[in-house]
Amino acid sequence: MTGVPNGPWFTSLPPCETLVPCGQGQHAVRWEAGELRLASHADLEAELVLVALGGEGARCVEIAEAWLRHAADLTVLGLGPRGEADEVAVSWDDVDAAGQAARGGAGGPGRWGWKLASPPRAAMARAAIRHQQYQEEAGEANQRRLDMLSLLALGTGFQVRLIGQVAAAHADRLDEPDEHGHSIRPALQAALAGRVALVAEQWLGIDPDQVEVSLLPPGAGWGSVELTGRGEQRRLLVSLPAWWLARVWACGLALTGRHLVVAVERAGWPDAQVLALRAPGAEPVSLSAHAAGHPPGAADTPHWEI
Amino acid sequence: MDREGAETYLRLLAEAAMRGSLTPAAARAPNASTIMVVGHALTAVGALDPVTAEEILADFRLAVTVRHLHSEADPGTGQAVTVAQWLAQGRPVLRGKPRPAPAPGEGTPGEGTPGNATPGEGADRFVPVGLTMPFLAGAVSGELCLMSFAQTGTGARFIAAWQVHSPALEVQLSHHYPGLIPFDEFTVTDDRGGRYKLDHTPGSDLAWPNMIRLNPAPPGNIRWLDVAPPYRPAVRVALSRGGPHSSDDETQVSVSDAALSAGEHLLVMLAERLLTGTPEFPRRGMLAAPPTSPRQVVAGGFGDIIAALEAADVLSPLSPVPARLATLCASLDLTGHGIAAPPTLDLPEPWLSLLAHYQRRKPEPTQMREGYAALAATLPELDGIRVTLLGLQHTQGSSVLHVLAQGPAPEPRPGPLDIDLNFPLSFWLRESGGRWHAARPDRCHQGDGESAIRLRLVPPLTRPADWVEVQAGGRSAKVRATLPLRWRYLS
Repeated sequence: MTGVPNGPWFTSLPPCETLVPCGQGQHAVRWEAGELRLASHADLEAELVLVALGGEGARCVEIAEAWLRHAADLTVLGLGPRGEADEVAVSWDDVDAAGQAARGGAGGPGRWGWKLASPPRAAMARAAIRHQQYQEEAGEANQRRLDMLSLLALGTGFQVRLIGQVAAAHADRLDEPDEHGHSIRPALQAALAGRVALVAEQWLGIDPDQVEVSLLPPGAGWGSVELTGRGEQRRLLVSLPAWWLARVWACGLALTGRHLVVAVERAGWPDAQVLALRAPGAEPVSLSAHAAGHPPGAADTPHWEI
Repeated sequence: MDREGAETYLRLLAEAAMRGSLTPAAARAPNASTIMVVGHALTAVGALDPVTAEEILADFRLAVTVRHLHSEADPGTGQAVTVAQWLAQGRPVLRGKPRPAPAPGEGTPGEGTPGNATPGEGADRFVPVGLTMPFLAGAVSGELCLMSFAQTGTGARFIAAWQVHSPALEVQLSHHYPGLIPFDEFTVTDDRGGRYKLDHTPGSDLAWPNMIRLNPAPPGNIRWLDVAPPYRPAVRVALSRGGPHSSDDETQVSVSDAALSAGEHLLVMLAERLLTGTPEFPRRGMLAAPPTSPRQVVAGGFGDIIAALEAADVLSPLSPVPARLATLCASLDLTGHGIAAPPTLDLPEPWLSLLAHYQRRKPEPTQMREGYAALAATLPELDGIRVTLLGLQHTQGSSVLHVLAQGPAPEPRPGPLDIDLNFPLSFWLRESGGRWHAARPDRCHQGDGESAIRLRLVPPLTRPADWVEVQAGGRSAKVRATLPLRWRYLS
């Protein structure tokens, strides 16, 4: 299920492209083979160095930087779309407005207007340290949110590809803690559950709240899908690896020809070989999937048929 | 304890809430309030760190509101969300920043530096006093009622009640106008000639003049203090242990095992918070709280709280406590609690007593005069907390128990559950008439490993009890202490 032997996770994804207001014009930003490419900025490395030295960066360059900064950021999974019906529409005007709001300051402890007649020096020193810390944290939080907003403004095609990128970055490292020493499994399991539940609703008409999803360790096979109980006690028990998010869901393969795709046997575009379930509890069958172009209104989201 | 299970549960709850926000028809979907109460429950039992809980909530809010940037109205606020609001919402919850070190010379706000007190001079000293001294200071007159004296490593103080009169306003002012109390006109001397001032405890609430600090702190081995009101002879306060007013010797204490899980203990505290937060003397059928009231919001999250505690492995699926909670909710007309366990008739006796009180149709006639009973009794340690009872007071129709809690206290993190994690004990009083009263933290002054806490009794006392049985419950054990009371009344 990793990059070998099926190729990288994005092998079943076509390139996608969007126009971004940059400087005085509109520049094309393209995603292809797992990378962002800026056609209008030939020497990207030089521009990144310029930005690092304090120069003003072009928006395309800022976006490329943000993409790199968040290519393994689990927050992306919580913010991004869960399914086709969950459109996250952010415009470049929104990004500009957010940038202006961020430069205007996000407020801080001062807005409560603490005032002491004769504040003790020690308390003032502590307050100054706290204020500085707050400003730093608020600045970082603002930057993170601005990054997110810019990445969302790239559109649905880029959003799902970034989700795939983040999932792929962690899928084989479930036991490695994040930079704060915390387990990454809860965030990955929630991301998986939120998306599988909506796919299951489309697949079986089941209430998404009746879908229980667990995270399968890498290398433990494709997983399992079983239906139990009746009425309110009905439950769809799904166990899938985190790779499913990248190789199946992000590539638009999750529900193909009324089958739940649980794994990709041979990745490719526009033809792929997938392992899919006709019904819960059934044995998965190997199917040939063919990309059938974009459905109306779903640009950059691949549509597959058996 | 399964910390990963706890975080996973909260994140899955946020996913369900997210799904609900995308489907306006999903009326029963969890929302931000549910995430908050469940997150608070998980942090309260130590299964989830508060920063993670805050991050999950912040990310959920960002995810929901970014989907409403261009919609007519945000479902949560009823207003459209601007991008500036989206950017500014929540506060940064970054991790890993070291806390700023205290500036030189800066201590914990509170009791101040002990004056001549020498560390290690002796153990903490708690002495019942029970002295009432009239005073007249200019146009203000009244009585200072010394309930007890408490000296610990952080200083010495009297636990007191005040009766203050002014010619302009012939009402008792002790709660509403503490600024009239002439602390600085009292003089205090010890058996060695040392002189002290009476001080309102710094950092504490002005409306809580029950903690009077001695400044500087006296040595730990003085035998008495002479307290002199303005222009009046001094009254001697004996500080030797086992004196005529000592209540320690008359206290009967028993300890029994409790063996509650962290989840059960939290549910008990939540139940008792519900019991003490119910309006007084409601008419039958009027117990139900509005859907948006904090009480109903917390009760509405019980099903999820219980499931989260089970996921965190701090509550057994076989625990009897959820069923008791279900009964309690039904008795208090709290709907939509979502507790799967069927109600049970097996409720603790104190809960039944308080429920019976709430079922009354009219207030009970009170025979209780305003007064106080001196106390100084230290209970056996419970879950690392040592509680000393320092006085029982009844004024203005309200009864309070003053206590000092010593032991490690968590960083204050107020949350929607409205429980005091500085005092994580179930605390009840049974008076000689047989009625139970819940003791709920009302005010707290914290500093240097101890908290002076005023516990409000629910319901208030209605007659002067000859004795009280204090029942304090922690996770590991339950303590019962029976104390005789000698009431002294205000004029």
